[in-house]
Amino acid sequence: MGDIRQSLLPRDVLSAAKELLYHLDIYICNLVQSGRQPPQVDSKTQELVEEFILHAPKDRNTPARRMSALQELQLLEIMCSCFQEQSRDTVRQLMFSALFSLQGNQADESRMVLLGKLVSMAIAVGRVPILECAASWLQRTHRVYCVRLAQVLVDDYCSLVPGSGPTLQNIHSASPRFCCQFITAVTTLYDLTTEELTPPLELLQMIVSWIQDDPRLVLINFLNTPLSGNHPISSLDVTPLGGLMRWCVKAPLAYKGDKKQALTNSSTERGREVGPLFSALHLSVLQVLMLLPNILNEKGLYGRLALLQMESLASLTSDLSRLLDQADKHAPSTDTRALPQLALDRLAQALQVSMANGALLCSREDLRAICSRLPHNNLLQLVLSGPVMYYNNIHSPAMAFSPHAAHSPIASHPTHPPLPTHPPLPTHPSSHPQYPAQPFMTGMSFPFRPSH
Amino acid sequence: MLKDQTMSVVLDGSPLKAMQSSHTHTPQTALSAQELSQEIKSFISGFDSVQGRKLSVREHARCAVRLLRSVPACRGAVLEHLRGVYDEYVSAFLHNLETESDNSSGVSSNLEDIIQEVHGVLSEFIRLNPRAWAPLVSAWAVDLLGQLSSKHAGRRVAPHSSSLNELLQLWMSCAATRSLMEAYSQCLAAMLAWCPDACVDALLDTSVQHSPHFDWVVAHIGSAFPGTIISRVLACGLKDFCSHGAKDTGLMAMGVDKGSRVPKIGSVVGILGHLAVHHSDSIRKELLRMFQESLCPSSPLSPTSSSTSWESSPQLRRAAVPFLLQLAAMSPNLFGAVSAELVELLRPPVLLQLQAVLQGIPREELDNMLGLAVHLISQSPSGGSRVLRFLADTATPASVIISGPTPSPHEGVREGCDRLLQMLLLHLHKLVFNCSEGAEVNHHRSASTQPRRVIPFLEELQSHVGELCAETLRLERKRHLWLHQLLCLLSVYGGPSVATEALCQLLTQAHNPEELALAWQLHSTLSSCMAGLIPAAVTRCVAQIHTHTLGTPQLTQLLLNMAAAIQSQDEERRGASGVQSSMAIQVGSAVSGYLHDFGPLLLHGDPDVSHATVRLLSCSPLPRTSSPAHLLLLSRAAVTHFFVALRRRGEGGKLERDGGQACEEVNCSVLLLSRFAAYSSLTLKAVLQQLVEGALHKGNAGLFGGQIADMSGAPLPSKSVSPDIGASLLDINCRFGTTVNFSGSVWSVFHAGVIGKGLKVRTEAQLTDPSGVMQNVQTLLAVVVQCCSSSGLNGSRLPSDPDEPLPINAEAAKVVAVTMVENVCPDVANGELSWPPEEHARTTVERDIHIRRCFEAHPVLFPLLQVVAAGRPALCYCSAVLRGLLATLLAHWEASREVLSTDSPWHLQASCLLVSCMGEGQLLPPVLANVHETFPHLTPFEVRLLLVAVWEYVRGNGPMPQKFIFNSEKGLFCRDFSRDGDVARYVAPIHSVLHKNIDRLGHLCWRFQL
Repeated sequence: MGDIRQSLLPRDVLSAAKELLYHLDIYICNLVQSGRQPPQVDSKTQELVEEFILHAPKDRNTPARRMSALQELQLLEIMCSCFQEQSRDTVRQLMFSALFSLQGNQADESRMVLLGKLVSMAIAVGRVPILECAASWLQRTHRVYCVRLAQVLVDDYCSLVPGSGPTLQNIHSASPRFCCQFITAVTTLYDLTTEELTPPLELLQMIVSWIQDDPRLVLINFLNTPLSGNHPISSLDVTPLGGLMRWCVKAPLAYKGDKKQALTNSSTERGREVGPLFSALHLSVLQVLMLLPNILNEKGLYGRLALLQMESLASLTSDLSRLLDQADKHAPSTDTRALPQLALDRLAQALQVSMANGALLCSREDLRAICSRLPHNNLLQLVLSGPVMYYNNIHSPAMAFSPHAAHSPIASHPTHPPLPTHPPLPTHPSSHPQYPAQPFMTGMSFPFRPSH
Repeated sequence: MLKDQTMSVVLDGSPLKAMQSSHTHTPQTALSAQELSQEIKSFISGFDSVQGRKLSVREHARCAVRLLRSVPACRGAVLEHLRGVYDEYVSAFLHNLETESDNSSGVSSNLEDIIQEVHGVLSEFIRLNPRAWAPLVSAWAVDLLGQLSSKHAGRRVAPHSSSLNELLQLWMSCAATRSLMEAYSQCLAAMLAWCPDACVDALLDTSVQHSPHFDWVVAHIGSAFPGTIISRVLACGLKDFCSHGAKDTGLMAMGVDKGSRVPKIGSVVGILGHLAVHHSDSIRKELLRMFQESLCPSSPLSPTSSSTSWESSPQLRRAAVPFLLQLAAMSPNLFGAVSAELVELLRPPVLLQLQAVLQGIPREELDNMLGLAVHLISQSPSGGSRVLRFLADTATPASVIISGPTPSPHEGVREGCDRLLQMLLLHLHKLVFNCSEGAEVNHHRSASTQPRRVIPFLEELQSHVGELCAETLRLERKRHLWLHQLLCLLSVYGGPSVATEALCQLLTQAHNPEELALAWQLHSTLSSCMAGLIPAAVTRCVAQIHTHTLGTPQLTQLLLNMAAAIQSQDEERRGASGVQSSMAIQVGSAVSGYLHDFGPLLLHGDPDVSHATVRLLSCSPLPRTSSPAHLLLLSRAAVTHFFVALRRRGEGGKLERDGGQACEEVNCSVLLLSRFAAYSSLTLKAVLQQLVEGALHKGNAGLFGGQIADMSGAPLPSKSVSPDIGASLLDINCRFGTTVNFSGSVWSVFHAGVIGKGLKVRTEAQLTDPSGVMQNVQTLLAVVVQCCSSSGLNGSRLPSDPDEPLPINAEAAKVVAVTMVENVCPDVANGELSWPPEEHARTTVERDIHIRRCFEAHPVLFPLLQVVAAGRPALCYCSAVLRGLLATLLAHWEASREVLSTDSPWHLQASCLLVSCMGEGQLLPPVLANVHETFPHLTPFEVRLLLVAVWEYVRGNGPMPQKFIFNSEKGLFCRDFSRDGDVARYVAPIHSVLHKNIDRLGHLCWRFQL
């Protein structure tokens, strides 16, 4: 394979790239047929790809040859048809990874650019094989790059070219796997912390409609992936559930903050517009969670695989408490006071449902630790306190945890050393100074996180 | 929802946009993936696979637009393809222009709608999502514009790149470039909000790459966004300058080929230069702001300068001043815009800051900057005088005594300015003398018409010569040295006209000899290269006098200065002869040519002016030739001024204020008159005649103790005293027969009053200051004597004894005599010289009375008579007057019933004076002339007896001038009485009177021995 370099060099940029693709195809076919395991492309070939397709500068002396945009488009077109015409899935996958697997060198930049364009084009012209390959790519690549790809696609279809949204909408039917991975990447990208990291309305509508139409879409990746256990550590989540949950929980506050920042009509309207969308999304997420037990049981993974990670939950709650603090600081109207409660409600609901359906594997104690900094919410208290309820005073919901709740799973860890008394919740001790000794707090060894 | 958005786009857009969008919004059915794939294939191959034919340019472009709208990944390729379309359009457009045929407009119009369509799509995209599209499209548009304008720059129709406006017109008439320009403007408007630096940087980079063909783009953009572009362009230029321009400053100061060395500053200058046409105001503000902010002590905390970043970097701040200088050096427009206000800005605090900043710059670079600044100043077309004043003010050392208009700044600043000023002078010196040398050489070689090198600074200062002179004359320390040097340069540069102007100004404005010396210094410097400077300057001064452009004080000063200049000649003559003396002579001769122009000034209403004039005239030499008219006018003016001066002296004496000046004025006047009288016989006669007439004029009579007399010789009743006598012209005319004028005959004598009205009221003689009168009379006599005795008529004869006064010239005395007769004697009847018998006197009673009253009214007549008497034989011509006076005296003494002659004091005095005059004038022999000594001791009758004897003698020995013989030994005319008849028979009455009063007259007897 390495010997064709000399024949490629005198050719012009485009035909060299075409030639290389052709040779690559043959080479990989041979590779697969030889049955060597694992089929892997050697480094010589990688270098050729980098030199003649990605045009990464080989060394400092030779200036990188550049393709014009037109040539690049032709190359993309050729790639599209090349992948389309390749009937064997393995060969396709191998070829795709030969071209686009990140190598950790400086060619990665142009690789990402080309990949973005290829996928964007594939979406436009409906090249399912490429999308499938891209879905796999998304599964095994570091999330930073996944997010970049998602960003490219969102830019292309949701902001740059008006009216091209429907094209993106089609990926749902074209390649559900890709669609699912895309959702995961998008939810990872847009964490609602700043305005830039708020999903465009169009995208949101699209995602909501996808999930509403087919809730199982969210799980499709999880369903189709053989759980080999070698899930790359920093790649995207298997499902977008965590990200979606974060969206739903943070949305009321994030959009409110957005409204405060820019008091333009559009943003308030946007806030109003997205409310129902997130409600629907939340419902869909809960519904998907409800589907889980069967699936997990089928796979025999119930109670063994946590689809929702504890760490992401922790970051969600800390984000939430920060948002709530901000909202507290400048919360003038009663209208806005309802929003934090909505967020907390959603959190509680999601927690409860995911715990109940085996998506979240943790004790309520752990939950309490995570949620210790959150302000009061009835539902959250209920969820945190667990299935055993004991009301001794209906007027003080803050003390819903009675000392008699000793049978709850919390009590099953008596070995925890008693911690010094902390101010239990940031908002409450001041508002209820007449109840300094909350029996539940004092009597229990309660491993909430110290306020650092 | 998307539909709604696009709809609103259509509605919002301008009509043009709507029209365009009608193209773009052709019912856009969402293409299926299959179709899109097909489209892409067609686009790539340029071949319609469905219909199996090649795509036309138009269809290809349509296809591209469709892809742009639907396949995001294609945008790069589409934009690249559209470059070709635009290029094609431009080519066709230019081709059309070149062939000037509109039949082939099919292609271009075909493409035109495509271009509009593309434009519509792009502008819609930009509007909908500026953040994403503006950077993309702006980069594309700028690059394409650059490419297009470079590529087609060589076309025949394309105007040369230097004519920016034509370029602009051409390109803006081309739809493709116009649409690109609009798109770019739109992008820029959108991008200004968040990344202005980047887009201007891109613009400048392209500008550098495609300069100068691209300048029209920048200029157009600049005029659309003046505020932003100007400051950005400056900031970019500064950064560039700082990064690699600073070291080349020195070379660039020489003014050669800067563009290639620092590319960006060239385009900065070009762009700003274009913008300066319409936005000079904002450019000026920006430049000044840059200057000020670069000086402000760095305060990183201040958030004001968030928009631009250069202020935060100390290096850039330090480079700002050199950068601005460089800019100014490269663009006269910019420099002109800034220079005026810059000087205003340079207040002491700013100067201190500037000094602080400049201290951080290495020596060599500072020198370069200094050179640059000097170059700039010398090239600045306006505001030069302000700059100069600023420099001089700042560089003048602080002094306790003289405080300049601005408080003196720090010493270091002062030294800097001092150095700058000296460099400037040196530079100007080089320029001036080089250019004049060059001109001369040229003159040598090729006749003329080498345009001399223009130095705008001096050019402008030429109109401020007056101020410069005034500044120079303030004689402040170093300042006047600089300014004087500058004046010299300016004069050399500007040629004779400026030099004349300067000299004239100095002459006008100098107030003391030290200041006046500056004028001589200037002249001595210039005299080497310019001839005829002083006459020209004097001519100019005279012209100024004529046009009344000078105020009285200046006029006075000018005259005094010229007088001083001439007088210095005399001093120099005594002392060592220097440059000054030759110049004084020049001034003198120049002034002498304009004496008649100065003459009227003698009678100027302002005493200072007339004083100055008389001083000038009295010391200026008289012209060698002059027309009689001028001489007469001048003499008239001089005499009139003399009387005015006398009056002024009298008033001044009372006021004790400027008596000194008045006395000096009189002296000058006397000197002037005497010199003038000596000039020629004509002037002598004129002067004397006018002096006498003036002395007797009723306006001046008071000066000499006289009274105002009416026609009949009687003193006029003063208006307040005289009652209305009720005589009306009508009444008198009705009684025609009774009012016949009998004047001259016996019967018309009504001197005592009108019958029936009582006696005439005698006016009381005004009591004038007798000492003043005495002084005046003395002065008048001195003048007359000096005039009469001056050498004009005496020829070259010099007095043997310098102490002895010169003899009175006979001719001059005759003039005085004749004038007196004309004025005193009302008619010429019986005006012959010889005397009739005494009895005949009664035929001339009225005339005689008139004469007597004249003598009464004008005491000055007697001294004048004495002067005449001294100038023998002039008294002969006074014969009629003497006769008349004597006749009335005889009548008086005859009628007198007083005991002693001393009881009629005036008559006694008149008799004495008359007789002594006649004796002096040798009308009488000494024996008879001495009789007046006895008069005070006699009775009226005896006086009459003696006077009759006198009369008899004169009748017998007529007062004829031909009886006088010139005695060359004495230089006088003398009468030999021995030729006349025997005196003895006239002496008899004298002897008998002596005998009768021998007790009282014994001591006088010896006087009457024959």
